[in-house]
Amino acid sequence: MMSDEHLLLKDAAGGDASALEALMSRYGSRVYRLAHGITRNSADAEEIVQDVFLQMVRKGGAFEGRAALGSWIYRVTTNVALNKRRGKRREVETSLEECLPAWEADGHRSGPRAFLVADWSGRPDAELLSGEARRILEEAIDRLPEHYRAVLILKDVEELTNEDVAASIGDSVSAVKTRLHRARMALRELLTRRLGPQT
Amino acid sequence: MMTCRDVNGLLVDYVDGALPPEVAAAVERHLASCEPCRAYLATYRKTRALGAQAARVEIPDEMRTRLRQFLLERAG
Ligand SMILES: [Zn+2]
Repeated sequence: MMSDEHLLLKDAAGGDASALEALMSRYGSRVYRLAHGITRNSADAEEIVQDVFLQMVRKGGAFEGRAALGSWIYRVTTNVALNKRRGKRREVETSLEECLPAWEADGHRSGPRAFLVADWSGRPDAELLSGEARRILEEAIDRLPEHYRAVLILKDVEELTNEDVAASIGDSVSAVKTRLHRARMALRELLTRRLGPQT
Repeated sequence: MMTCRDVNGLLVDYVDGALPPEVAAAVERHLASCEPCRAYLATYRKTRALGAQAARVEIPDEMRTRLRQFLLERAG
């Protein structure tokens, strides 16, 4: 049986402008967000979006009976974006270890008390998403490895389940959870170093 | 008794509400008596929300226009 999406794909592959429009409305921003989240570059993201939609339209007939179109699209987007990044991976993506919490042998977090109890979470989003704080956030996101950013986008922006994230990037649920946690911890650490103890 | 490190290792599932009730209760007992972990959880949640908001972009209109053109030239 053909789903609504399979019909859309078939029509889009045949050059039906309204089917193309519907596909772009449904998936355009999702593909762009993921591509941009991985590459952090709008020109690269645009090439990826074109590539992914072209694959969708060209291979449209091949979807019948296969996995959900959404997962397929995320998977293709992730692959294309990671390939594009290969070779231009920057040196600033240093080890994430330096941004993860350090632990004492007894299971307490290491560090000065003022840093450990620093809680800047009451600051309004509008303030944290503009000016200097926004710049700090964007720099912190830039420092994450791209496959960590892929997981963050799929889970925290697209709000997929861990299982759907795993299916979308072709990895295990436990790998997804580990990456997600490490990505959030690294961002939290970098933000806290800049926003934390002085407040 | 859970250590701070144990609690940290459960945060992904805890913020998803995906822990078994007895494990979630043990996390909450730890949080009730541990200020660093409370601060960590609050800033961890806030970080998740900020990261999501910063990345929640739409495809720009002019890019959508170019994409439409690109596909119409190649489809069919
Ligand atoms: Zn603790």
